Amino acid sequence: MTELLIDPKIRVWVFLPIVVITFLVGIIRHYVSILISSQKKVELTQIQDSQAMIRARLLRENGKYLTAHSFAMRRHYFNNEETGYFKTQTRPPVSPNSTAMLSDLVKGNFINVLPMVIIGGWINWMFSGFVTTKVPFPLTLRFKPMLQRGVELASLDAAWVSSASWYFLNVFGLRSIYTLVLGENNAADQTQAMQDQMSGAAVAMPQDPKAAFKAEWEALEITEYQSALKGVEAEILANINSSEGATIYHQSKTDDAYHRS
Amino acid sequence: MATNRVKTRELKTGEVVAYSEAAIRNNAAAVEYCRTSMAALSGCTAGILGLTGALGFLFYIVAVLGLWCMLLMKSGSNWQKYFISRQSLLTNGFLGGLCTYVLFWTFLYGMVHVY
Repeated sequence: MTELLIDPKIRVWVFLPIVVITFLVGIIRHYVSILISSQKKVELTQIQDSQAMIRARLLRENGKYLTAHSFAMRRHYFNNEETGYFKTQTRPPVSPNSTAMLSDLVKGNFINVLPMVIIGGWINWMFSGFVTTKVPFPLTLRFKPMLQRGVELASLDAAWVSSASWYFLNVFGLRSIYTLVLGENNAADQTQAMQDQMSGAAVAMPQDPKAAFKAEWEALEITEYQSALKGVEAEILANINSSEGATIYHQSKTDDAYHRS
Repeated sequence: MATNRVKTRELKTGEVVAYSEAAIRNNAAAVEYCRTSMAALSGCTAGILGLTGALGFLFYIVAVLGLWCMLLMKSGSNWQKYFISRQSLLTNGFLGGLCTYVLFWTFLYGMVHVY
């Protein structure tokens, strides 16, 4: 393989600037997104609904520690046919076009897609057609279109990288550096947001409360009460009797008794 | 986010050990920090040394193993107090680190040896 000789000025005026530009754009994106992001407004009824759901779930999971009466009472509160919370609460279906959500979407696009397009295009236009560097490991010909965008030379070895591709390598490689510099959950990570958009996760609707209520109502309805504390007095007393002789302690005093003895 | 969430792991003896979720996440973040630094620094080293081909990837694996050993040395004999498993300490973020490593390797190699 014949070595290419590259003008050192390309290093100073193309290779380095691309790295610096990519890095600084990430930093700027982080701070701009902090600047224009708004506190998410939550409706009162939404919180009420989610709290009710949490309570119902806790009742299902931990209801075994209650007495039968208390469990039935709590379930009645949620599931009664006429007055139960899940039966009486009617919520209008969530409208997907609420203004708050729309503006969030626009802002997200503004932060993530616009700089990507603009900076990418600018780099392509400004630094087009340079062979900038060489990756230090051999690559097959298949990588040529990926690494040599903007440089169409059939005889060039696949290990050489063009300026446009160097920019994309930087975009993907600097991701963890942003974590290092800006801390966790930074907004500079545009690739994550792009993946979200492609899978549609970014526009996920808040779930329909009616359906959630129905599901929770069903789950609660089929929960059968079974006390976990059945015969617990006899068990504890038996323990004490075996370890402490015939002395019988009051239940709440057993700990003290152990400490004293 | 719940701060007192608990993660559990069952030992071979059948005993269940509970971990604080927040503490585990904090430890994982610290390890991730170390890993990124390690990848960047070892990438720089490899680039300056001018390693090419398989030698460079070998160097990355050596660096990962070295970091793992250092982490285990740091956590000492009671590593189970801080991490749920030792294997995941080694394998987590291997590919993400490789991405950073290759970038820095290419960058420094280009700066020093290509021009």
